[in-house]
Amino acid sequence: MGTVAQVCTIAWWEIRRFFTTMNRGMLPAAIVLLVILLLVSGYAARSGVHLQDGLYDIGLTSDAYLPLFGGDDRFVVYRIPESESYFPPASYGLDLIIADGVVFPDETDKGRAAAQALYRTYERYLSSVYSNQEDIFAAYPVWIANEYITSELDFTATESGQRIGFNQPGQRGYPRPEQEVIPITPPQSTPDLSPEKVRETILASDTSDSALSRYSDLLSADYAEESYPYQTPAMLSPPLPFDTIIFIFVFIFPLYFTSQFLMMSVMHERTLRQGEPLIAAPVLRITVIIGKSLPYAIGMLVISSVLLVLTGGKITALLPLIPIILFFLSSALLIGMVSRSFRELSFISIFFSTIATAYLFFPSIFANIHVISLLSPVTLIVMDIQGTGYSAMDYLYSTALFYLTGGVMFYLGIVSFTEEHLFTQKKLVSKILDLITAAIHPTHPWGSVFFLTILSIPFVFMAQMMYLVLFFNLPMPFSLVAILVLAAATEEIVKSLLLMALFNHNPIGLSWPGVAIASVLIGLGFLLGEKLLLVITLSQITSSIFGSLLFQSASALWSPFLLHSMGIFCVAVAVKRYGNKGYIPGLFLAIMVHCIYNALIIRWALA
Amino acid sequence: MNLNHVWNIARKDFSGISQEKTILFAILLQLFIALFSSFLMVGLTAMYNPESLDDYGRVYYRVGYCGEDSPVLIRLNTDKTIIPFSMDLSTAVAALKERKLAAVLYVPKGHPDEQEPFSVTMYTLKNDIQAALIEMKLKEILLAEEKELRQARISRLSEIPVSAAFPPGASKTGFYEFIYGVLIPLLLFMPAFISAALIIDLITEEYEQQTLDTIRSTPVTMKELIAGKLLVTLLLVPAQAGMWLILLLLNGVFISHMVEILILVTAGSAVLILMGAIIALHYADRTKAQFIFSMVAVIIMLGIVSVPYNPLHIVAQLASGTILLYHGMIFLVILCVIILLTSLVIRMTDARETVS
Repeated sequence: MGTVAQVCTIAWWEIRRFFTTMNRGMLPAAIVLLVILLLVSGYAARSGVHLQDGLYDIGLTSDAYLPLFGGDDRFVVYRIPESESYFPPASYGLDLIIADGVVFPDETDKGRAAAQALYRTYERYLSSVYSNQEDIFAAYPVWIANEYITSELDFTATESGQRIGFNQPGQRGYPRPEQEVIPITPPQSTPDLSPEKVRETILASDTSDSALSRYSDLLSADYAEESYPYQTPAMLSPPLPFDTIIFIFVFIFPLYFTSQFLMMSVMHERTLRQGEPLIAAPVLRITVIIGKSLPYAIGMLVISSVLLVLTGGKITALLPLIPIILFFLSSALLIGMVSRSFRELSFISIFFSTIATAYLFFPSIFANIHVISLLSPVTLIVMDIQGTGYSAMDYLYSTALFYLTGGVMFYLGIVSFTEEHLFTQKKLVSKILDLITAAIHPTHPWGSVFFLTILSIPFVFMAQMMYLVLFFNLPMPFSLVAILVLAAATEEIVKSLLLMALFNHNPIGLSWPGVAIASVLIGLGFLLGEKLLLVITLSQITSSIFGSLLFQSASALWSPFLLHSMGIFCVAVAVKRYGNKGYIPGLFLAIMVHCIYNALIIRWALA
Repeated sequence: MNLNHVWNIARKDFSGISQEKTILFAILLQLFIALFSSFLMVGLTAMYNPESLDDYGRVYYRVGYCGEDSPVLIRLNTDKTIIPFSMDLSTAVAALKERKLAAVLYVPKGHPDEQEPFSVTMYTLKNDIQAALIEMKLKEILLAEEKELRQARISRLSEIPVSAAFPPGASKTGFYEFIYGVLIPLLLFMPAFISAALIIDLITEEYEQQTLDTIRSTPVTMKELIAGKLLVTLLLVPAQAGMWLILLLLNGVFISHMVEILILVTAGSAVLILMGAIIALHYADRTKAQFIFSMVAVIIMLGIVSVPYNPLHIVAQLASGTILLYHGMIFLVILCVIILLTSLVIRMTDARETVS
């Protein structure tokens, strides 16, 4: 029987198993629920979100102010007598009072928020009055054409602790460009503003105030830019697309959901040793794993395609989803293999999916704004649907880590898909250690450790990119310190896991020369892996100050090697000398050494 | 029902949870989401509101001004945070490209007092978070200009809107509504979903690991077994929600009516947990039960937030200290649902008891 046929057979079993478990009494319930879901979402779409209704209590002295509120549910309006309008709003239990054409908010956060919310509705009220004017240019005398100048995206703005165009040292005096000045033809002096077009634009910007955009106006869409080049001052808003949040849920949630079924399937093989025949069967482990995952992978692709068709996207947007699918499936496999019980499975998978979603989500909110957005494949989907498109390099940058980590997780799953690992119950940490240990070759442990160290680098990079995304736009000293400490801790923890796997592998532990060899090999593997992976990392990231901190690409080869070896040597000595009790102190020492080294690097880089 | 038995079952399941350190994941998750929220708060606020970073020294924007002199130039000059430079357009745009300016304004010929609209071209950097800041700053200035010009042309308007003078700062964006109206209710109800997923795991596990018979051979009845599991999952809710409240307080978010909030969240969670238990008892299989429950959960979430005075809405009102309407009634409704679901669970466990 050929391998392909074997894969197909196992995939077929998996599909049959899926449908037999899901069939009994499930289909009618699922269909009924789906219908209810559709009805409810239809109702929800019409009725909107009611979480902030009646949030603010407002006192009015006259009914003349009622049009200001325009039916906004957030405000509960009370009439108060004119004579008492000079008392502070809080004395009535109100957040804000309008009297004599003046808005008096309560001196609390809530009062100020009420004033801000009312200001928005007041603006809407004003534009509803002004846009009905016969003489539209009397109502809207100022029109702005926004021209965007492209300057390459990088971290220079944030990393120097300064912001572009701000007065910074060395920038005093008259701004003189260093490069050649390219002549620009000034915009025409009489813009072609036609009253009809203008009215349309104003009305279009009015209707875009949905229940979602009200949460804060920084989530506004860039509607005016495309339809009409001129805007009123009120329409100016920074271009932050709100779409990405929706994309995350539309595309990522079904993928996560489907991967749950693989998780359960793997778990089922383990409960009551149900998977024993499968392991005993004369097929390769890799065949079993591929066969088991294949139906889910295809299912995910089908679901994504349907979603793409429904949202009007192009089918090319599937490409960025492939690494995400791989990543979710491989992690589902591992989670299914390490969990001891259903509740553990639930918690780990919820935890993992939150982290993964965050990793996909954070960068993509900077789509079109900052280079960091390219860390997430979701950004590519956004670009694809927007019609901007992306280059092959962009694809490589944003998906490489997903492909690599997904591949490594599959590898670990395959090497440990054995009776010994599937049917033993262990604590999570030791189970993970077991997985790594299983990947150590029985006769060539040193080569394996070196190889595994290289394989661990994508995970380290992923974690570090996460820190970068989380902290890069914090004020400067904080962002650098946070990234510095977390990056050091992650690297040392990963290296120490490899070391512990090595201790685990050899029943009598490591000899003293072994400790030294392991330190050198892990240090060397880390260095090599880093260098290899730097090729597929965005140059804007590696050349930023965060990059020099994370990857030490600026310094010579021997010093990072020494650092990595030193760190792991600390742990190795502690564990060798004091056993497992020495692990935590050794790790702390290693992290400290690493942090100090990083701090020195930073001083050197800043100087 | 023997309360001792219930307590023993609850203790058994709780020690299972704490032994596996799974609860650690829940706590880690909580911290992670807290980090996420502070990312939203600090990061985005800093992005859009440079004054929030004022501790880092005064911020000045350098703006290139090209074309005709106009009242806008005077406004730029009087603004303390803007340093305008009158210059040639091509040079200014080149300087902008090199980030030596934050923005460039071009004003063509044409006097503002005339019939025609006053048009301005604004050059800003694309693809830069910080460019958004100067855009907001210039927006303020242009809004002021618009207001003045509109005033000058007031005789041409056919309808004058009601005027309302706002205190300074009202035009800024705050995060109050997001925190109290979205974040707090969602965060506080998150433990409810975790606990409901947990009860499904706890019940289906007994079926699939075939440990049910072992427990049934002891004096513990099915009813006591389920009650114990319900108890442990329900007790986790106020603990987790309370931790959220503490985390929010540490972040400087003031929350009023904390006791009422905890009671409401626990009651609301009881509904979800009971539903989880019913589904788990019905299917006795984790894959099926979790699948059905997630669909039910999505339906409930969607349905509930689209109705005013839903529990999440009440939490938002309680937390922000708003004058409350109907919350007693809502609580009564929840209580009725709890009683209804409990009786259903009792009936289902009775059925299981007689079968085995």
